[in-house]
Amino acid sequence: MLKKKFTIILCALVATFFLLCVSYFDLPQVLKQEKHSVTIAVSTTPLSTPFYVAKAINAFDDTCVNVEYQNVTGGQAAFERVMNSKVDFATSSDSVIAFESLKPQSFVTHAMFVQSDNDVKLITRSADDIAAIADLKGKRIGVTKGTASEYILTTLLAIEGLTIDDIQLRNYSPEKLIAGFKRHEVDAILPWEPFVFQAMQAFGDEIKIHDTKSLSTLSFNLISQAGEKLLVDKAECVIQGLHTAIHYITSHPQQAKNIVIAELNVAPEFIDWVWPDYIFKLGLNQSLILNVNAQASWAIGAQMTTAVGESNAVNFIDSRALLRVDSGAVNISL
Amino acid sequence: MKLSLQQHIYFFTLSSCLFFIVLVISILWSIQVVEVAIERERYAHKVESHSNILKQFIRSEDIYVENYNTDSWETLERKFDELLELTPALTSEQQTIQNSIKSQNKNVIRLFETINQNQLENADDRIKEHLKLRLITQLEAINSDSKQLFNIVQKDINIAIKQQVTFVLVILSLSLSVLLYGAFKLVRIFRTSLNEVKLAFTKNRCGNYQNIQLSNKYEEFESIANAFNDMNTELSETTVSLASMKKTVAERTKVLEQLSNTDPLTKVANRRALFERGNAEFSRTQRTKNKLTLILLDCDFFKNINDQYGHLFGDQVLQHICAVCSEEIRNIDFFARYGGEEFIIILPESELSGAIKTAARIQSSLANKAIVFEKTDVYVTLSVGICEITQQHRSFEEMIKDADTAMYRAKENGRNRIEVIDGCAAQ
Repeated sequence: MLKKKFTIILCALVATFFLLCVSYFDLPQVLKQEKHSVTIAVSTTPLSTPFYVAKAINAFDDTCVNVEYQNVTGGQAAFERVMNSKVDFATSSDSVIAFESLKPQSFVTHAMFVQSDNDVKLITRSADDIAAIADLKGKRIGVTKGTASEYILTTLLAIEGLTIDDIQLRNYSPEKLIAGFKRHEVDAILPWEPFVFQAMQAFGDEIKIHDTKSLSTLSFNLISQAGEKLLVDKAECVIQGLHTAIHYITSHPQQAKNIVIAELNVAPEFIDWVWPDYIFKLGLNQSLILNVNAQASWAIGAQMTTAVGESNAVNFIDSRALLRVDSGAVNISL
Repeated sequence: MKLSLQQHIYFFTLSSCLFFIVLVISILWSIQVVEVAIERERYAHKVESHSNILKQFIRSEDIYVENYNTDSWETLERKFDELLELTPALTSEQQTIQNSIKSQNKNVIRLFETINQNQLENADDRIKEHLKLRLITQLEAINSDSKQLFNIVQKDINIAIKQQVTFVLVILSLSLSVLLYGAFKLVRIFRTSLNEVKLAFTKNRCGNYQNIQLSNKYEEFESIANAFNDMNTELSETTVSLASMKKTVAERTKVLEQLSNTDPLTKVANRRALFERGNAEFSRTQRTKNKLTLILLDCDFFKNINDQYGHLFGDQVLQHICAVCSEEIRNIDFFARYGGEEFIIILPESELSGAIKTAARIQSSLANKAIVFEKTDVYVTLSVGICEITQQHRSFEEMIKDADTAMYRAKENGRNRIEVIDGCAAQ
């Protein structure tokens, strides 16, 4: 009898202690939230790895969204889909944001999820013997207008005191750049991955890849139309999934690579080729604002756009969703 | 496996020590974990401060000036590079930020080299300004990354502290629970066993020889119980209880007392009992000033009865007289054989008249009740002397003497009659 009583008291003490322990920690929100359906235009590039991984590891299952992807080529195409209300969110590079920020339209960046300082590369023919940028004068150069491709070209030229008036600029959609190069319509192209790798495989020694590293840091961002509360809530859920995915990528890089290889149906060598340039992390930094502003004002000065407005990237940042998921990742002084 | 109590105590002490060691180790480990986190925080802080210095340097310096001396920049960059190489162990999330910082720093170095290679002699001011802005942007990115690293590290410190506190609390509470349980169990074993031993001792003292029944079977207590039980068995076999002895003594004493106070022939009180009672009544009367009367009875012609019918019949006559007298007196009266054929009745709180009535009743009863001797009715008579206590009486014996005087007067006056000695006659 006494033993039974003692056991009950002991159990009660232990139970009380564990309750205290549990309440000491922030309890995870166990209440099931209503699931929103969202569509995201995802640019088919390894830069979109966090999205592919999130889907593969069911990272969105624990958030409030049912996610559907629409695969598009290039961040600009993705951006257009957002502005045409065909999708809720899109993945876009900072260059696209910089160009689009000069147009009278309202969109916001919720979070940057990857950066690469070596995505866009300058490809010329080995036979043309173009050793330096100065040798590009008078050449026909293929770019995708309104993207990092065009921006890097203009800066490269500017360093040598050249402008786009000194060359013959040709505009191609990203996937058609290599075809144009192959047909000898242009002497040089500035594609991004995976097209650089494809070109390398197709032409081998026939082409020369110039080092453009450090001239631009490309970042991929989650964008949407200027958000109301519901949109911010949805963005939070998407970012929550991305947060989980990025954590998975950093702790299981090989598995993450395999997911991208399967998703994009590309050669493992390609992923191994680009992977070292990528840094997957969530953030909204002052540097993004500076970068966008710098690229936008450069675009105006280099006559890459007909727009005359001045970019103020701060207006295109909505940090509410990311602040809720990972407040430490937001470093913006407004 | 059955452990002895001693082993239990050893086990309890050892587990206490073990839990204490585990607790100390967990605390030391927690301190280590928190220290690692704090080291990371320090590192993140240093990176942030240094990136700020670099940023301010680029902002304030005119890097495009002719023959610009890059020494101070290179010193700063070298220091920063060294700092980035002395990274403490980081988590995968923190390592990602660290990789980003390193990669951005490489870009900063490359960009600075590009700018300085040919002083951008062909470039216009716009691209110069743009590249400088880009340099600042890169440094800003490093700055942001280091801030983010700092935030992550701080968050990790909080989590680490929370986890370690919980861990230590869990270990502590587990230890306490187990130790409390052990202590309670030991106390209970001791208390129960000692109570059982104490109970057996108490019962033993009362002469109730009961063995110790232990609820907890432990070697040590069992050895005590066995020793006690053996002793108990021996004691119960050899010892008569004090109570039963007292009872026996009381019974025997009562019998002896009765024997010493009773006349063996007539079974009434003897001379010894008479004087004992008589003295007591006399003393009481002296104190209370109550009445006290004596009747002395003597069988008339008893010698003739003995001679005529034999001594056996004489004995029967005496018994007959006793039976009659015993019937006729009050409950509080005391009847005794004084000697030979003489009897005395002490009548406490009785007037003289009451005594005369009693004596008369006895005489009348004897006159009506004959003793049969060989089909012949034999009647006996008594000469009675009565004496009432007076102030002159100094002892019970003096009262007897007066009663005796009265009885002889009755004999002299013709037998089978009652004579009274009043107060004056005693003199």
